[in-house]
Amino acid sequence: MWLMALFTFREAWRKKVALIAGALTLAFLILYGTGLHFITRDMVNTANPTATAASYYAMMQAVTLFVLGIYLASFLAAGLAVLAAVGSVAGEIENGTLYTLAVRPLSRRDLLLGKFLGLAAMLVTYAALFFLALAGLVYWQTGLVIPGLVPALGLFILEPLVLLAVTMLGTTRLSTLGNGVLAFALYALAVVGGMIEQIGALVESTAAIYTGVVTSLILPADAVYRRLVATVVDRLPAGNGQDIPRFINPQSMLGPFGSQSTPSNWMLVYTLVYIGILLAAAVYIFNRRDV
Amino acid sequence: MAVIEAWNLTKIYGRQVACREICLSVEEGQIFGLLGPNGAGKSTLVKMLVGLVYPTAGEAKVAGYAPQDIRGRRQVGFLPENFRLHGWMKGEELLTFHARLAGLDNRAASRRAHEVLELVGLAGEGRKLVANYSKGMQQRLGLAAALVGDPRVVFLDEPTSALDPLGRRQVREILLALKEAGKTVFLNSHLLSEVEQVCDRVAIINRGTVVAAGRLDELQAGPATVAIRLAGLTGELVAELRRRYPELQLEGDRLTLALGGREEIADLVARLVAGGCRIYEVRPGHSSLEDVFVHLVREGEQVCG
Repeated sequence: MWLMALFTFREAWRKKVALIAGALTLAFLILYGTGLHFITRDMVNTANPTATAASYYAMMQAVTLFVLGIYLASFLAAGLAVLAAVGSVAGEIENGTLYTLAVRPLSRRDLLLGKFLGLAAMLVTYAALFFLALAGLVYWQTGLVIPGLVPALGLFILEPLVLLAVTMLGTTRLSTLGNGVLAFALYALAVVGGMIEQIGALVESTAAIYTGVVTSLILPADAVYRRLVATVVDRLPAGNGQDIPRFINPQSMLGPFGSQSTPSNWMLVYTLVYIGILLAAAVYIFNRRDV
Repeated sequence: MAVIEAWNLTKIYGRQVACREICLSVEEGQIFGLLGPNGAGKSTLVKMLVGLVYPTAGEAKVAGYAPQDIRGRRQVGFLPENFRLHGWMKGEELLTFHARLAGLDNRAASRRAHEVLELVGLAGEGRKLVANYSKGMQQRLGLAAALVGDPRVVFLDEPTSALDPLGRRQVREILLALKEAGKTVFLNSHLLSEVEQVCDRVAIINRGTVVAAGRLDELQAGPATVAIRLAGLTGELVAELRRRYPELQLEGDRLTLALGGREEIADLVARLVAGGCRIYEVRPGHSSLEDVFVHLVREGEQVCG
């Protein structure tokens, strides 16, 4: 399994998947950093956020920009997860590269999990660097150290892994194209469901909130993002007690990009179990299919 | 000792029967040829034997284990038809990786990779990216990958399809060298001459069913031809013979007949003599594998059609 994982990681590296994703991400970071610079140029230093109304607003502005950056970065990480894994079984059968591997003294479980681990290693590296680059840019331009940096980083890494597990399951049964369409459709469903849930929380619509919960159960990728936002924003002080009352919730300032309706710890447990079950199902299907 | 065995191996895709109740037994150290027209079910059979495809019914054992068993796979090498190798790797690197998967440690894998590169005539090409190899070179590299784990049983599905005559000859030499080394080779090919030159035993498959199997000389001993130079052949006798041998040809004093078997020659000659003929020459025809193949495949088509 580890040989297969190393092989897959090297494949992603040598096929320049990581390089192309890295170049696009760099372009994104340059654009984001430029925007961040001009938007926050006149902001007051946020080192002491509770001191004045102006600095509190500045802090919220910095957090909002960070959250938006993370929101967009999630798309890129999810896209990379889907594109990297979309043909890892189906594509290799279609182009005939799987035959020589599948007859080696290597169980299909090890072959599949090796591929998952190799791609996961690439995605974890990519997502961690991306997240730290965003947090670094925000710190550089605004002086704000992202609260809950380490748990937020963990959650950011988890998000593409959910998409990776879904795509690995799909590739054991569907064609490359069909699997890609399904994975992106599910991701779109989760994102839209997440938006509906947050708007539902803002307007206090239980039905809308449940809609989001259901889509999160189908694909918990957006739920992980919401939990990430909560991890960061819930560590911020409430209003500064001067011109901003203390009962003002910083989440409400983020609107549909925030986490008014925050996924529970159980949702995180569900996400981890979800990944495990999907991988087990992928192994089950791959074990029984003709190659 | 049989190293490849199949009992009633059947594969059905929806309503299409790819293989039907195939029974095979290949002795260790033999080169076994599987022949059949396109779409006969050859590749499906090979894929079932190497564990890529699950049979709908029946059972198989290779090197004493079920095809999916990892213990058996350690002893099996496979060159698929219509395969592609990972183009982003260098030839040498690819073979080392396959050798590692086959269970060799890093140093042994690297050494073995060099050995098989040389064996298939790619020494000096190992540092090139596989994507830059020609089709023929990729075919050789695929053969090297099949052999890199030093397998006891090698399945080769159309191993020479992309090779020039020189490459084909080299593959034949490799096959014979494998046999010398006591390996078993299961050769799936539609190139009859190739099979005829290297195989000890042959099975002919048509429409998913084995229609003939045995040693080459046994198969060739089946339907036979005979050419007889004679005089005194009457029209009446020709008509009688034509009823029994519809493919009779008469050119001058030369009579050619397709027989059910060589044992019929003596009776035929006796009948001709009894009919007043003078026999000058009797030349039994050698039935080539191609004759046998065409005969069996056509026979199958007539039965099914």
